[in-house]
Amino acid sequence: MAGRLFLLPAVVWVLVFSIFPLLYALYTSLHSYRFGRINEFIGLRNFERLFTDANLHSGLRVTLTFVIVTVLVQMILGFALALILNRELRGKSVFRAIMTLPLFATPVAVGYLGITVFYEQNGPVNSFLSSLGIANIPWLSNPFWALVAVIIVDIWQWTPFVFLVSLAALQALPADLYEAAEVDGASPAQTFRHITLPLMAPTLFLILLLRLVESFKVFDIPMSLTLGGPGRATEVYSLFTYRTAMRFFDHGYAAAQGFLLLVIVSVIVALLFRRIGQLYELER
Amino acid sequence: MNLTKTWKSTAFVVASMLVVSACAVPAATPQPGGQAAAPTPTPLGQEENVAQTVKAGELKPPVLVKPCGDNCPFKGQTVTVIVNAAGEKGPISGPFYEVREEFEQATGAKLNIVEVPFAEHFPKLMTDLTTGSGQYDISVAGAWWLGDLVGGDYILNYDEWYNDPRFPKWDIEDVQPGPRSLLTYGGKKYMVANDHDGQVMYYRRDLIEDPAHKAAFKEKYGYDLKVPETWKEFRDVAEYFDGKDLNGDGKPDDGLTMHLKVGGQGMFHFMSFAAPFVIGPENPNLFWFDPETMKPLVDSPGHLRALETLVDLIQFGPEAMMGWSLGEAWDHFLRGEAALTFTWGDLGALAQQEGSRVKGKTGAAILPGTTEYYNIKTGQWVKVNGINRVGNTTGGSWAGVISKFSKAPEAAYYLLALMATKEKSLIYAARGWDGVDPGRFSHYLPPAGTAKIDDYLAAGWDEKDIRDYTQAYFDNFSAKLQFPYLRIPGTFEYWTALDIHLSEAATKQKTPEQALKATVADFEAITDRLGREKQREIYVTSLGLK
Repeated sequence: MAGRLFLLPAVVWVLVFSIFPLLYALYTSLHSYRFGRINEFIGLRNFERLFTDANLHSGLRVTLTFVIVTVLVQMILGFALALILNRELRGKSVFRAIMTLPLFATPVAVGYLGITVFYEQNGPVNSFLSSLGIANIPWLSNPFWALVAVIIVDIWQWTPFVFLVSLAALQALPADLYEAAEVDGASPAQTFRHITLPLMAPTLFLILLLRLVESFKVFDIPMSLTLGGPGRATEVYSLFTYRTAMRFFDHGYAAAQGFLLLVIVSVIVALLFRRIGQLYELER
Repeated sequence: MNLTKTWKSTAFVVASMLVVSACAVPAATPQPGGQAAAPTPTPLGQEENVAQTVKAGELKPPVLVKPCGDNCPFKGQTVTVIVNAAGEKGPISGPFYEVREEFEQATGAKLNIVEVPFAEHFPKLMTDLTTGSGQYDISVAGAWWLGDLVGGDYILNYDEWYNDPRFPKWDIEDVQPGPRSLLTYGGKKYMVANDHDGQVMYYRRDLIEDPAHKAAFKEKYGYDLKVPETWKEFRDVAEYFDGKDLNGDGKPDDGLTMHLKVGGQGMFHFMSFAAPFVIGPENPNLFWFDPETMKPLVDSPGHLRALETLVDLIQFGPEAMMGWSLGEAWDHFLRGEAALTFTWGDLGALAQQEGSRVKGKTGAAILPGTTEYYNIKTGQWVKVNGINRVGNTTGGSWAGVISKFSKAPEAAYYLLALMATKEKSLIYAARGWDGVDPGRFSHYLPPAGTAKIDDYLAAGWDEKDIRDYTQAYFDNFSAKLQFPYLRIPGTFEYWTALDIHLSEAATKQKTPEQALKATVADFEAITDRLGREKQREIYVTSLGLK
C-alpha cells in the first residue's frame, strides 16, 4: 500500500499534465470552431485536411529543410569545437565560457536581435561584408536568404549545446585507451576513427535526438525574426499551428496538426532509440 | 578565485564586443550605381528654420469632469482596459494613463490598464471572451475585429447610454461619415470614437516644388512635376527621384518606401492602392466577395492590374522594405531617404517630432486614383471623366469596445465617452505622439472644420505641413467613394492569407496572377470552414445591403 502511495504523485502528474491534455486535444480535433467556440462535431475532417492543405505542406517542407540543415551543422560544428577544446590550449577556459553564452539567451530576444544584426541597410553583418567587398545580402527580404538568416541564428544559439554535452562526454572517455593507442603507434585519425567516435556514438545519438525534437518544434526565432515571411518562406510548422490556433481560432484543426507533429517526432524518436539501444548492446 | 584568469576572460569579452561594434558602424561610402541629384540639397534637419518640437506630455488635454466627492457613481468598481502595448507616452495607450486620475476622481472607480503586444491583443481578448471570464471591461480594438466580436455576441452596444446625461457628451455626428461607419454594426453603436485610420499619400514638398527638379522632370516625362493625382503619375515621380540624393548626405536615396513584411500590415497598402482599380461610381461596394455567393472577387482583372502596378512600383524602393514593418518604412521617410509613401496619419505627426529630418517638408494628399476601373458587376473596364479617387478607412481605427462580460459596463462607457469628447479629441489628434489620427470635423481647419491653426502650432506642427495633412484627411474621409472595409468573422484570417500571398508576389515567388489565385483558394477554404451562408449573411449586413 505504502509503495502505491509513493507512486501516486507521479500518476497524478502524468494524468493531469499528459493524459488529460492529450485526450482533450483529441476531443478538440474532432470539432469545428466558430468565434473561438466549439461549433459542431465533424469526425475526422480536420485530419483529412492535413493531407490536402498546401499551406501546411509548405510549412512541413520549410521545417524539414530547417531541421536537416540546422541539426547537421550544429552536430558537426559543436562536436568539432568540443574536440578542439578538449586539449591543452592557451585560453581554453575563456573560449569555453564564451562558447556557451548563446545558450543562456532567450530565443525570442535572439530573434529580435537578429532583425538588427541582419538589417539590410548598414546592419552589422552587411557592413562587415561590405568592408570585405561583398555586396549587400537581402537577409530578410529575400525568401532564400531569410531562411538562411533563421538557420544561422538557430545554429548560433544551439551549437553550444552540442559543444557542451560533447565536451563533457569527451572528458569522461577513459584515458588508458588513448595511451594504449599511442603506444601502439595509432595516428590521430585512427584514434579518432576507432576509439573516439565509437565511444562517443551513444552520446552523439542522444544529442541528435534532443536537437531533432527541439528543431521540429522551432517557433520563437522565425516568429520574432521574420514572422514566417517573405511569403511562407520561413513559416515553420509550429508557427503555422500557432497561427491556426491563436490567430484564426481554428482550435480543432490546430489540434489535428499537433497530432501530426507528435506522430512525426515519435517515429524519429523511436528509430533513434532503437539505434541507441543497438549501440549500447554492441558496447556490452 | 583566480583574478588573473578572470581579468583575462573579461578583457577577451570586451575585446570581442569592440570587434563586433566596429563591424556595426554603418558604411559611410556611397553605394555604387546611384546618380547625384541636381541640385545638391542642404543636409536635412540642419536648416535654421526648423520649428521646435513638442514632446510627449508637454501638451495636455483639458480636464472636463469634476471630482465626485461623496456622490461617486461607480464607487468601488474597477475598469480594466486592454490596449496595444506602447507605454505611458506611447500611441493609443498613452491617453489612458493621462486620463486615469481625472476618471477615477470623477467616478470613484479604479482604472487598470493592461498593455499587451499588438500581436497578442486579439488572441488574449478572444480567450477572455470565449471563456466568459470578463477579465477585461474594455478593449481598444481594431475595427476589423468587429465581425468576430459582434458575430460572437461578445460586446455591448452603447445606444442606450449615448444620450444619457450621466455620461460625458460626445458627438458621433462630428466624426466624418467614413470613420463613423466603423463605429456601428448592423445599425447599433459598438465602438466609441477614438482613432481614425486611413491611408493618405505623403510626399516631399521641397522636392516637388524645386525648380531644378521641375525642369528635369518635365524634360523627361513631358509634363509638369506636381503632387501625383494618379498612380501612373505616382510611378513617374517615384521613378524620377529614385537613386537621387534626397537628404544631402551624399548617398543615393529611394523613390518611395513601403512596409511589406509578412505581418507588417503590407496588405493594407494593397487595399488602399487597389481601391480605385475596382471601386467606381457604378460599383461602390464590391471588392471582396460576391454578396450572393460569397465567391471571392480578389482575382478580378481590376485587382490583378492593381497588384501588377504595385509590384512594378516596388523597384523604386529599397529591396529591404520587403522585410520592413511600419517602423522601418516610416523611419526611411523621416530620415529624408524617400520621396514618396502612402500610409497612416501617424507619419505626418511623426514628421513633426524630434529626430525627424522632414519637418516642414512633408506634404500630404488624398491617395492617387486611376482613369479607369474594372466594374466587377458588368465585367468591363470603365473610363471615368477625370480621376477615379476612392477614400479609405484602411487600418485599425483603434477605439474602445465594451465586453459583454464586464462587471462595470457603465463605468467603462463613461471612460470611453470622456476620452471621445471634442475637447480631448482635438488635443489627441493635434499632438501626434498619442497615435490618435484626425477624422472629425472638429479636427479640421476652416472651411472644412472648426479647429484653429493655433491648436496645431501649439502642438509643434509646421504650418504648411498641418494644412496639407488635415486637408488630405478631410478629402480622404469625405470622398464620395469609400473603400469597402471588411468586417466579417474571420477577417483577420482572410487578410493574413492576402498578406502572405502579396508578399509572395512582391518577392517574385509567385506572379501577381498566381498570388491572387492562391488568395482566392485560401478565401474559399476559410469561407467554407466558417459557413458560407452564415458568412454571406453577415457580409451583406456589413455592407449595408440588407
